[in-house]
Amino acid sequence: MTSGYAVPAGYAVPAGYAVPAGYAVPAGYAVPAGYVVESSRAETRDTVTLVLRPGRQPIAAHRPGQFTMLYAFGIGEVPISISGIAAGPELVQTIRAVGAVTRALCAAEPGQHVGVRGPFGTDWGVGVTAGSAGVEPPGTALSDPAGKDLLIVAGGIGLAPLRPALLTALAARERYGRITVLVGSRSPAEIAFTAELDSWREAGADVRVTVDRAEAGWRGNVGVVTQLIGKVDIDPAATVAFICGPEVMMRLTARALSALGIAETDIRVSLERNMRCGIAECGHCQLGTVLLCRDGPVLDYARARPLLAIREL
Amino acid sequence: MSPVPAAELAAHPFLRGMPDGQVAQLAEVATAAYVPVGHRFFEEGGHARRFWLIRDGHVALDLSVPGQPSLIVETLGAGDMMGVSWLSPPHEWQYGAKALEDTRTFELDGAAVIARCDADPALGYQFFVRLMTVATRRLHSSRIRMLDLYAAPGQTGGR
Repeated sequence: MTSGYAVPAGYAVPAGYAVPAGYAVPAGYAVPAGYVVESSRAETRDTVTLVLRPGRQPIAAHRPGQFTMLYAFGIGEVPISISGIAAGPELVQTIRAVGAVTRALCAAEPGQHVGVRGPFGTDWGVGVTAGSAGVEPPGTALSDPAGKDLLIVAGGIGLAPLRPALLTALAARERYGRITVLVGSRSPAEIAFTAELDSWREAGADVRVTVDRAEAGWRGNVGVVTQLIGKVDIDPAATVAFICGPEVMMRLTARALSALGIAETDIRVSLERNMRCGIAECGHCQLGTVLLCRDGPVLDYARARPLLAIREL
Repeated sequence: MSPVPAAELAAHPFLRGMPDGQVAQLAEVATAAYVPVGHRFFEEGGHARRFWLIRDGHVALDLSVPGQPSLIVETLGAGDMMGVSWLSPPHEWQYGAKALEDTRTFELDGAAVIARCDADPALGYQFFVRLMTVATRRLHSSRIRMLDLYAAPGQTGGR
């Protein structure tokens, strides 16, 4: 039980929260809030997007790039990126089946109950203004790149946590300069959100996709995602880049963008480690001096680069 | 095909920064070409004599497999250099190349380029540094693809 649990130092409780009797922490941070699977959509062979409807009480509003701890009752809890925007009480999460918990979540059917804690961590900064909803970790907020070109580079399922940033930017299209989305995937069949790519283009984004391995009938690019960087027009001084994917892919992409002249503070990456508590108490997600559940997952590359270069921590 | 003004050739990313006099030498052995979608530049196993600097469009490098559609190894586009098999024996194309879109290129005669590089080592140095850069980048990309990065769990701690 978490009775008497205190709000961690430096965190603020979002306005409007009703603290359950006997608890000092709002539901959804230390105790999972009950959610019901409203719908499930297969993105690829092993990846599913769930739309979750809150039961009695929703978790706090989330910002693009944050994650939750999703609980498959009786099996376990895992950190999952939020892949939708906070347009209502529903929560959109995209899950790749890679283990017992994620397989159970991917198999969840409409009407099934899951637990949700969060939202946790830092965000991409898109659309974030003073007074934005959610719990703000001290000293880690990234600014809204209003007026800048956005370069979004995704590798595989890394597109999921970038999607809310893209949707937020497209919804306020005039707020940003050029929006470019580069997607790298293992194969055409493993590209997530394929049904949405054209709508993103229609909404004003330059969306390009490349695959490592082509299949019969594929007419698009074949090669690593960094090769696409050389194909787009980038103004280094006016560009803020968001990168999410396998760590090696992020490092290579960040290095390529840095070589083009984009400042490391304008390159944002989303890192993952073994997130458990979500509130920087347990230390499982420690990466050097950083606790990624609180100080991450989104960090600027100036901060992330030294951490990614250390062979062991 | 038509002759290439040196200024146009110099604008291609592969030659960017090369001294004007050297670009002018390459322009003498270059022609501008436009090919429609579906055009095959070369076939795997064919005699390799030329290379291309792609100005715009989209080209697939492929391998043929009996009874199956060709396997696309990599795609190239605007700003890329295509074709290195002309450079060394057995001078055979290791892959095929087919236009996936209408494509504009500069086409250069390999033997003529080598002759000019032999005659002007400064040109040879400039040319081969660029060629090596392309080869290194392709090798690097191939190695990364061999890692099959996207097969690994890529989401936030997903288990």
